[in-house]
This record gives sequence, structure tokens and C-alpha cells, in this order.
Amino acid sequence: MSTVRLESIRKVYGEEVAVDGVDLEIRDGETLGIVGPSGCGKTTTLRTIAGFETPTDGRVTFDGTDVTHVPPEKRNVGLVFQSYALFETKTVRKNVTFGLKMRDVSKTERRKRADELLELLDIADLADRNPATLSGGQQQRVGLARALAIEPHVLLLDEPMTGLDAELKLRLRDEIGSLLDELDVTALYVTHDQEEAMAMCDRIAVLNDGRVEQVGTAESIYRQPTNEFVATFVGTSNLLTGVARDDRIDLGFTELADDMRTTGEVTVAARPEDFSLGGPVDATVLETTYLGQRKDLQVELPDGSTITMQVDGDADYRAGDVVGVEIDPENVQIFPTGIRERTTALL
Amino acid sequence: MTDYYTDSKAEAETGSKELRSGTESKWTSARRSASERIGRPTLVWIVYLVVAILVVPILMTFISSFASTATGVLPRGFVTFEHWRHVLGFGDYGVRANAIPGLTFSVLVATGGMILNVIIGIPIAYALSRYDFAAHNWVNTLAILPIVPGVILGIAFLRTYPDYRGSALVLIVGYCLLKSPYMVLTVQSSFQSIDIVKLEESARSLGASWPRAFLTIIVPHAKRGILAGCIITWTLAAAEFNFTYMVHTGDPEPFSMFLFRNISNAPYLQSAAAISIYFSIVVCAILILQLLGNRGFTTLNDDR
Repeated sequence: MSTVRLESIRKVYGEEVAVDGVDLEIRDGETLGIVGPSGCGKTTTLRTIAGFETPTDGRVTFDGTDVTHVPPEKRNVGLVFQSYALFETKTVRKNVTFGLKMRDVSKTERRKRADELLELLDIADLADRNPATLSGGQQQRVGLARALAIEPHVLLLDEPMTGLDAELKLRLRDEIGSLLDELDVTALYVTHDQEEAMAMCDRIAVLNDGRVEQVGTAESIYRQPTNEFVATFVGTSNLLTGVARDDRIDLGFTELADDMRTTGEVTVAARPEDFSLGGPVDATVLETTYLGQRKDLQVELPDGSTITMQVDGDADYRAGDVVGVEIDPENVQIFPTGIRERTTALL
Repeated sequence: MTDYYTDSKAEAETGSKELRSGTESKWTSARRSASERIGRPTLVWIVYLVVAILVVPILMTFISSFASTATGVLPRGFVTFEHWRHVLGFGDYGVRANAIPGLTFSVLVATGGMILNVIIGIPIAYALSRYDFAAHNWVNTLAILPIVPGVILGIAFLRTYPDYRGSALVLIVGYCLLKSPYMVLTVQSSFQSIDIVKLEESARSLGASWPRAFLTIIVPHAKRGILAGCIITWTLAAAEFNFTYMVHTGDPEPFSMFLFRNISNAPYLQSAAAISIYFSIVVCAILILQLLGNRGFTTLNDDR
């Protein structure tokens, strides 16, 4: 396994900039997730590492070696696709041994290594089957075994669980996550499902418009987003407009302390769980959504703004009820207008 | 882990069994619709009728070739191999001694045209399916342009390559050009039904060079289209008359021309035998191609 670095990667198609100066490092043995909306450049980034895209500017290195212009077949990169892309003219075992055959590994060794991987992925009994006859989950395991068989410098997973049903996705998520940890594989996991990325990845990079908005652990991205985009894209955030003056931010219905000493209009991002009931601010319940263990309430604050907050699933609230709301300033993020970095509010 | 899929798989199997057998579940109505009662059986009978209209003349010709006389409504006096014996060169047949040289020549030339079509047609179909390049639509149109009458292509060949008139090479190239759209269209359709980009990228990421990925992964995945293309181009080339008539001179005489010259001069039953031999060769060729296609493209049971 290797450390993979992307240095100032830029990819332009005609007049369209797909990736705009991406700097990323996938550390040896870690799983880095890339999340972002459609068209943000995450798949282009993955394909650049695989060698299927040559960057317009910048370079890609594996353990310090520049591989920017090395063809894909010489990069030793494992690829797992959303559409599996298994070879249906070959058996499961032949799929797994294909990469080893390309490396002139002996037949005995190929078979031994393939069988070990199939055993590890719990699909040993499918070795002689045609991949086309397998279920989606089984096919994805074969795809993973095939990519791992070549002991790649980096394993690239391109939305591998999109298209699987929710229950299977949860199960496979845990299994693949454990496997990547167990094998100590350097991996890049591209997904549009932030929950999946949070569960599986050691660190996550949030991409938007071809740029990296933030890189960090799942917790840091969720709790300390560096800008409004990350705050709203990862999880749910309520964005409130406030006015900062004299080290305090006036939200209209309450005030927060501000250590940025900014003045003027600011945006305050607060998660639904940062609001609680029993506070001094009277708010009207507009809508309730029952989600089992919890219930989401849409409430209207006195200044007319609407927020989403969470209460216990058994709590009995209906549209039209007036509730007392308060904001927990502990984890609230403040984004002063014109300044991208966040601050933590102090009350 | 695999137990996990059992429920959904069993469910799908039950559903498909219900659909096939027509048994009713709680989701299906107890009363069959008008379409089910009248529409479907009518459609099935129309299909049977059309197939019968197509097959009966061929079958009658084949059966007649073994009859002694065909003067009545139905042939009579079975079974004789006399007409086959004549056609196969053991007796006089029309103005020619026998059909074997013409048949052999036609089989070889049609096979040559088919092989040339495989070599040229598959890469064209791949490029059209895989890449988006300048003038893509024009190239696509040009690839199917050779669907022109054989007479026109024959005249074009004679004007352009007068020195090659009558050679087997002209027939092979001509058959290839005339029938190439069938190869390109069927293979292109196969390529479009699979994710060739992802397959190619999978193979290359695993260490296969582009030519190796193309030949060992992409081409086998398009085997149905290639097989269909081979069958269509071979059978149409073997039976091509117009182009052959325009450009070919001398011996051996292609079978289509042999039939044309001799059917009018030979008794019906001997013509029936000649046509039956030709038909048998076409059926054999299709079976061989299917066999090759099924075995030649798969490594499912290959442990090399």
C-alpha cells in the first residue's frame, strides 16, 4: 500500500473546469472518502488517480513517485465500480485471477490467492459461477476481490453501493469497512451518500465545484464545518442570519457571544440537535415528521425564520402548538460574511 | 452472508413461476382479461401461420428432392437419392457436370467476406459505440451506406478496378462491403448493451494493455452480436447473385450463378436437390458458427 498525493490537480474539458486545484493526500492504510453533489469533480478525481484522466495541471504521486503520465495498466490501482463491471465471459475465480494473470503469476499461485480472497469475502462457494447469475451484493464482493487480488497501491471505490437495497447496503458497509481496516488498504471511497462516507472512512474530503471545501474526520466535518456549504451538505443545518456587534451576535430571537470580533451580517449554522425545548423563545410548530426514535419538528421563530429541530419520537406535538425553544451555543458555527473560516460561538 | 439474499431470490423465483404458469396470487385478478383470453392466442397463431408460410416451401422443396415424381399436387415415389446423386457429381446435371465446385467456391468466398467483415466491422462498431469523435454521425451513416443494390456496387467495382474483374478477391471484398452494415449494426448493438467503458477500464486497471483488454474482454462480451453478424453476412454473401453476376467471369462459377443458369434447364426435382444441398450447407454453417461462438468466446470452463 502507498501514500497517494494529488498536488494542485486541475482538469479542464473545453471551457468547463471539472477539477480546480485539488490538493489531497490519502495516507498509507487509510480510507479517504470524497463526498459532494453531482458534478463536483469527485469521479474525475478518482479517474485521475486511476490514470484514465490526465490532469490539465498538477501531478499525482504514489509514495513520492510521479505517476501523472503513467498509463492505467502500469499503476497497480484497484478499481471497484458501481456497475460492478465484472467479466461475464469468465467465472468468478477467473475474474479474480485476471489481474494476477496479467502479472504473469503462476497458475497455482493465482488460484491460491483467489481462493483466499473469495474465502475472506465469504463467496468461496461461488468460485465457479458466472458473475451474471449472482445478486448485486455478491457481484460487488467479486468486484472487490478482483481489485484486491493485485494488492494495489490504492483501492478506488466509485459509489460501490449505489443501487443496492438499504438493508444490504448497511450490511455490506460494515463488512467492507472492516475488511479495508483488516487488510490495511489505502483506499479512496467516492460516494454521494455522506452517511456511508462517515461510517466507512477515516477522513472525508468534501468537494464542491471542483474544489476541496474541507478535509477532516467525520466528526470534525459534522461538528466543525468550515463554511456554509459543508454545514448544509453534510447533515442538516439551520442557517440563521444575525448581526454581529460588540462581540455579540443578535439573532433576533436571542443573542450569542462572538469571539471573531466581526461586525455586520453573519450566518449562524446550527444542527437540529442544537435546539431544545423548554427555552424562553416562543415558536410555533408548523409540521411534524415521525422518524421512529425521533421526531423532526419544523418550527417558526418569532422573527419569521423557520428551523428544524429534533425531539423524542414519543413526544406529542402537533402543527399549531406553541413551544418554548432555546439554542445550545456549544456547537453552533458562525460564518462572518466574506470570511470562509468558521468560529465557535461562546455564550 | 449468502443466506442474506435467499428471501429476495426466493420471492423473485416465485413471482416468475407465477408469471410463467399463470397461477394466481393475491395480486392477480381471478378473471382473465380480454387481451389474455383472445389477444394472446390470436397473436401466437399469427406467428405460427407466418412461420409456416416461410417454412413450408423450403420443407416441400427438401422433401421433393427425395421423390421420384412431382407431377401431382404432392410429390410421390419416395425415397430416391437419384437427384442428390446427380447434383453431387455422380451424374449429369443440366448443362454442368456437378454443383460441387461452385458450392465449394461460394462457401470459401463467403467465408472470406465474413472474416474480412469480422476484422473490419468489429473495430468500426467498437469505435462508434465507445468514442464520441468529430463527425461521429457521418461515420455512422457511412458505415451503413453499403446497403446498396449489388448491381450498383458491381458497376462501381468494374469501373474502379477493371483489372480485377472475375477474381475471387473482388468477390470477397465486394461481399464484405455489401454485407458490412449487418456486421456493424449487430455488433454495435451488442456493444451498446454492455458497459464497454467500465469493462475496458476494469481490465486496464488490472494490468491489461488496451489491445489485450479489447481482444480478451470486450470482444467476447459482444459474442452474440458478432455471431449474429457472422451468420447474416455469411448466408447473404453465399447467396448473393446481383453483385456476383456483374463482376464474376470464368470458373469456378459461384453457386448462385450456377443455380440461375441451371434451374431453368434442369428438371424440378434435380433443382430441388441442388437447393436442398445449399440449404443444408447454410444450416451447417449456422450451427458451426453458433458452436464456435458458444465455445470460442467463453473461458467459463477454461482452466488454462
